[in-house]
Amino acid sequence: MADRSLRSRRNGNGKGPERYSAWGLLRKGLAQENWPRAWREVPLRDTYDAVIIGGGVHGLATAYYLAVNHGITNVAVVDKAYIGSGGSGRNTAIVRSNYLTPEGVAFYDRSLELYNSMASDLNINVMFSERGHLTLAHNDGAVRTMRWRAEVNKLQNIDSSVIGPDEIKKLVPSLDTTSDARYPIMGALYHPPGGIIRHDAVVWGYARAADHYGVEIHQKTEVLDILVEGGSGPDGKGPGGKVTGVRTSKGDISAPIVVNCTAGWASLIASMAGIKLPIHTRPLQAAVTEPVKVFLPAVVVSGSLHVYVSQTDRGELVFGAAVDPFNNYNIAGSLDFTEGLAGHILELMPGVSKMRLLRQWAGLCDMTPDYSPVMGFTPVEGFLCDVGWGTYGFKAGPVSGETMAECIATNQTPKLIAPFALDRFPEGTLVGEKGAASVGH
Amino acid sequence: MSTSRLSARSGEVIDRTKTVPFTWNGRSLSGYDGDTIGSALLANNVRIVSRSMKYHRPRSYMSMDYWDPNALLQVGDEPNVRSAHRRLESGMDVSAQNVWPSVDRDIKAANGLVGRFLTAGFYYKTFINPQRLWPLYEKVLATFAPGGKVDLDTPHGYYDKRYAHPDVVVAGGGPAGMAAAISAAEAGASVMLVEHEYGLGGHLRWGDDSDRAIVAEMSQRLIDLGVEVLVDSTVTGRYDDNWISIAQRSHPGVIERLIKARAKILVVAAGLIERPYVFSGNDKPGVMLSGGVRRLVNMYGVRPGSRAVVLTANESGDQAAADLEAAGVSVVELVDARNGGGVTAVEGSPSQVESVTLADGSTREADLLVTAVGWTAPTSLLNMSGDRPSYDASAARFFPSAPPDTVLATGGMVGDGTLDELVGHGTATGQLAAARAAVTAYRLQSTTARALPVDGPEPDWPSDQRAPLAHRQHPELYRSSTHGMVDFSEDVSSKDLVAAAAEGFDSVELLKRFTTATMGPSQGKLETVNTVAVLAEARGETIEQVGTTVWRPPYAPISLGGLAGRIFEPVRRSPMQDWHEAHGATPLVAGAWIRPDHYGDAAEEVRNTRRNVGIIDVSPLGKLDLQGPDVPQLLNLLYTNKWSKLPVGGVRYGIMCAEDGVVLDDGVTGRLSDNRYLMTTTSSGAASVWEWAENWLQTERPSWKVDVTPVTGAYASINVAGPKSRELIGRLAPELDLDPERFKYMQVRTATVAGVDNCVVWRIGFTGELSYEVHVPAGYALHLWLQLMEQGLDLGVAPFGIEAQRIMRLEKGHFIVGQDTDGLTKAPSTGMGALIKMDKEDFVGKPELAWELENSDPDVLKRRPAVVALQTLDPQIVPEEASQLVRGTTTEIIGRITSSRMSPTLGRSICLGQIEQQYADAGNIVTILLTDGRRIEAEVQAHHAHYDPEGERLRG
Amino acid sequence: MLIVPCPHCGPRNSSDLRYVGESHSRPDPNTATPEQWRDYLYMEDNPADWLKETWYCRSGCRRYFTLERHTGSNEFRNPPIPGNKKGTKA
Repeated sequence: MADRSLRSRRNGNGKGPERYSAWGLLRKGLAQENWPRAWREVPLRDTYDAVIIGGGVHGLATAYYLAVNHGITNVAVVDKAYIGSGGSGRNTAIVRSNYLTPEGVAFYDRSLELYNSMASDLNINVMFSERGHLTLAHNDGAVRTMRWRAEVNKLQNIDSSVIGPDEIKKLVPSLDTTSDARYPIMGALYHPPGGIIRHDAVVWGYARAADHYGVEIHQKTEVLDILVEGGSGPDGKGPGGKVTGVRTSKGDISAPIVVNCTAGWASLIASMAGIKLPIHTRPLQAAVTEPVKVFLPAVVVSGSLHVYVSQTDRGELVFGAAVDPFNNYNIAGSLDFTEGLAGHILELMPGVSKMRLLRQWAGLCDMTPDYSPVMGFTPVEGFLCDVGWGTYGFKAGPVSGETMAECIATNQTPKLIAPFALDRFPEGTLVGEKGAASVGH
Repeated sequence: MSTSRLSARSGEVIDRTKTVPFTWNGRSLSGYDGDTIGSALLANNVRIVSRSMKYHRPRSYMSMDYWDPNALLQVGDEPNVRSAHRRLESGMDVSAQNVWPSVDRDIKAANGLVGRFLTAGFYYKTFINPQRLWPLYEKVLATFAPGGKVDLDTPHGYYDKRYAHPDVVVAGGGPAGMAAAISAAEAGASVMLVEHEYGLGGHLRWGDDSDRAIVAEMSQRLIDLGVEVLVDSTVTGRYDDNWISIAQRSHPGVIERLIKARAKILVVAAGLIERPYVFSGNDKPGVMLSGGVRRLVNMYGVRPGSRAVVLTANESGDQAAADLEAAGVSVVELVDARNGGGVTAVEGSPSQVESVTLADGSTREADLLVTAVGWTAPTSLLNMSGDRPSYDASAARFFPSAPPDTVLATGGMVGDGTLDELVGHGTATGQLAAARAAVTAYRLQSTTARALPVDGPEPDWPSDQRAPLAHRQHPELYRSSTHGMVDFSEDVSSKDLVAAAAEGFDSVELLKRFTTATMGPSQGKLETVNTVAVLAEARGETIEQVGTTVWRPPYAPISLGGLAGRIFEPVRRSPMQDWHEAHGATPLVAGAWIRPDHYGDAAEEVRNTRRNVGIIDVSPLGKLDLQGPDVPQLLNLLYTNKWSKLPVGGVRYGIMCAEDGVVLDDGVTGRLSDNRYLMTTTSSGAASVWEWAENWLQTERPSWKVDVTPVTGAYASINVAGPKSRELIGRLAPELDLDPERFKYMQVRTATVAGVDNCVVWRIGFTGELSYEVHVPAGYALHLWLQLMEQGLDLGVAPFGIEAQRIMRLEKGHFIVGQDTDGLTKAPSTGMGALIKMDKEDFVGKPELAWELENSDPDVLKRRPAVVALQTLDPQIVPEEASQLVRGTTTEIIGRITSSRMSPTLGRSICLGQIEQQYADAGNIVTILLTDGRRIEAEVQAHHAHYDPEGERLRG
Repeated sequence: MLIVPCPHCGPRNSSDLRYVGESHSRPDPNTATPEQWRDYLYMEDNPADWLKETWYCRSGCRRYFTLERHTGSNEFRNPPIPGNKKGTKA
């Protein structure tokens, strides 16, 4: 694996971005000067080797790895708003690799590996807090599913085990582990390497590093259409066609490769190329409380109660739940969500009733039938997808970027993402992650 | 400087005859009834009440309202209490938060010395290497978390919820809001008026006597009209179709009550929030906003300082200066920004303003600087309605643009005017609200089934004819020539913002995320527009071009207890559950149901059932009554097997699949009479199978005549199992012919049992024993249960629980859908291939199953999972459920154990599992990886049943 | 809380109903190719626009019906309300 740290690059060409460091802060502080721009603002050109739609973690990571691993730098990342404005900035920033299927485990474990080394790779503190991740089980069926995951995980060398109520209480004293709870905590899947990360920093880190390599980031640039020739559908789009470029709010771009790295708009972008996806879009809501002194040391997830919670270093509790009950592109949020959330949190942690909910928000999630993404080539040549990430896209950002970049550069589907190909749907070979269907955080 | 109580003011809200004792950081103090915690502290000359988040700078009250960024205190076990808003109560234990060792001497104030290095986003730039040290840094940083302490022993107190259906909800009880409520009520609408403060009147509360007289008059009118007025209550959110959430805090006996109101029209009259000014030293104690000063002096009779400079750009500043003079505070300089006057800095000790530098460079000695530089319209509720505010530079504030037509804004947030003009606009708004509410009411009633008829044609939707309020000229005053704090709660300065913009975080959302400006407890109510203004300046753009952020719900924070309410999580208990628990049963939570797990010794329960007779309460079993001529067609469609020839009295087992061929549910269905069938489902599938059947009947087969009635709760179910079960049932149902030749295995009868008519008696056997399952009308279930216990005494009858049943079903090899199958298990994998009848014209899942069965690709076939029975070679080892089956000594997974138990009957370990077809042949030896890491061997069995595979016992 | 216009019960809180999903017609199971069948099983239009979808009035009339809703604004279009304005429903 190539050494991808900014340090080594700077040694190579002597012209890296100004490094972030305590020393730098000190020097800037003394000189009272500002840091340079983290990424450039340049005019949109009319041709690129590849256009990546979506300036979130997936799109920016794809651009970064295209540049750093494959030397493809004539790349534009376009976003209709600002970078990280979609799911990347709206998720609850939980990372873990304790999935159910071997495919899932291998994939997310690589992602966790990349997250682990991200700070030095990208020279930015992404504040990865490896604090442990507990998935609670409230009945014997759930305990069995947790053990299933733990056993699969162990075989892949993932640190993951089932623990009982006493150990849970020791790890997270605020939980009600008594047996007279309405939904008694009977056990938990404990995954010590899981944790939380500063999601925005991941976006900015990839943006800054990709920009350094020559990738252009174009914010407030909306894709209006995808240009396809020779397809079997209307206007020459659809299967059998070949991508020639994209039409944006800032002009047309010609490009042989167009990558759909969006969440929430994946179906709409794909339909511009004449491709139909097995996706429905639902808001996923989240909320945060006012800060209090830190008392919750781990990430806690309860599938039965459809809730997950962690506490930031700033002291806020960050909550999430299941996706909304009906398809929607509207992210106004609902009261039912906060009511249900509060009820379930108080079932788990009765002591926090006087904490206050400060803000609720929502992001759009593209749900697939088998709780797995759609990655790689499509029936339109040059049009690739990295979509359908449901509620777990953030965790997979780095490895998705790495594998999508490989896919583009080599014109071959990497082994890690082969199970996630679009053609598994017509072929009826779905991924088995649904077996552990629960709140997927 | 010192703060102290003034002589009585004519408009004060405190009652000086009632002293209220409380403690501050352990010190005993007192205030008056009507004080807020903040006014009482200031009256006691306690000025420094908090430390800023990052630099731990001393902070004091600034705006004296809910949004005061420096006023968050711990009160008893409640963190983050807004002390400038919360009314003082006797015995309150008030303390400072986030300070060590004390608010007056705080060690972390040393951060202030290195402030220039702790620029916005400094976290991101440091603690990078060595990475392994980050967890350590993180722990240190976490001690800087602001906020109070949660006492984890806090009980979940009494919170409540209420539904309301007012025609009009008015958010905000200032003059315009009151006027809107009055006129809407006069027009016949039911109105709920919600005010965030403890009293109505808005800014009139700290005005003069004539202002208060108007408030009194309007309040009386509201009472006369029967308007429901809620004070100390907040409209926290507006959701789809005017679903309004209201946090009501002053309801007797309840900590907080969440009102969910389906308002036909929402009137937003939230007033204006005063904006702080950005300049050097603007967070120093002694800098206050004009509204804060006016409240303090006029409502609470507290002197905020002794020598004041007032920077004013509007009436509020002018009036504050007058109020100060009247209270004996000398105003040493009235700086009028309308005439070009300005303030660039305050100087002094860290905890006190000592002098003020004016724009001309001169200084004034003063201990108080009052600023009145403009307003922010808190458009949160309008944002939640989809409106995006727009900026008017001449008035120096954002205004609502185009809220949906069921949401109307009035008062200061839409414009300026005299009191009469504001009241006039409110009145017009209330009239419009009432008229629109009437149309909505008409539509609702005319579209609701069985509602009373409505008279006349639908009225037209009233258009908005209100004369708009003017936008008064106001100088744009955001930042002076110096840098200062923009976000007080987050310690973000204008300098931080400029630096962040230069780094590329130059859209308002990126800037907010990078610097955390506006992310604190007041969510940008004070800070957002200043943030936008500083960014606009940095970018060389206008505020309009930069735009603003979207305010998310809630408008003001709401407690988790209030949102949760009393928490209703219903449980289902069978009519016999009390008996079970009284007789030693361990309760088991099984979805909605509470069930008996065992009565002390499950193995003995198994042995007794196999030897004598046992009874188990299986009431949660799903039951659907199916009637009509087309029931057989429905069964043919839902199940994979055939049902057309089922005779009356016959019972069949069936598997249901979804359209993708995955197993959905299973159970037995019996034919009770020509046109009546009883279907049973799994307990967890009871509701979903019912909806599934309805879905097919209503959408794909609407011509079929079938009535589906769920009877899960109508019948309780008792399974009587064991060799002596026939004898026991015979004693209770003497008229029922139990002859094994005439009432065979897999048959069903209706009968009188223990004197109860219309019981359904099934001869089926999940346990593998001769058994009869009695579905008894639920009201008689306990009677039947007691009769079984009594009449079976000499037969050795004993109850058995879920655990014993699970052991017996495993001994018998019956799989459980969802345990032995999973979300991808297609029917052919269950070993029940004989139950899949591909020659039926159609059944749910047929195409996928056909392709599954047709598939002859050996690579696919050999890897397809199969449900098999397994026995460990060492009979004493019971592998835990979910133990993986692996290939030899490798880590390659070939299957897993789905069920396992020690069999009391066989005296050995028994399992069910899923394994790849290529390893599924009977007699194969496979490897189980135990959860402790050991590998053991097990043999694949020929039959699922470990016990009585021929079924002689249950057929006997 | 969205109000859903049930054609039988009238306006109801969405929590009274269960969302079934996009309305698709079922191909003939005996003639459909695997591609057609799986298109029916898995593929969705998922427009940010008007969408025909199925709801089930779980706490009311217990009927399945199809409505048209805009997935951006949450408005319902041409709700198939039977009967007349006098509130006399079948």
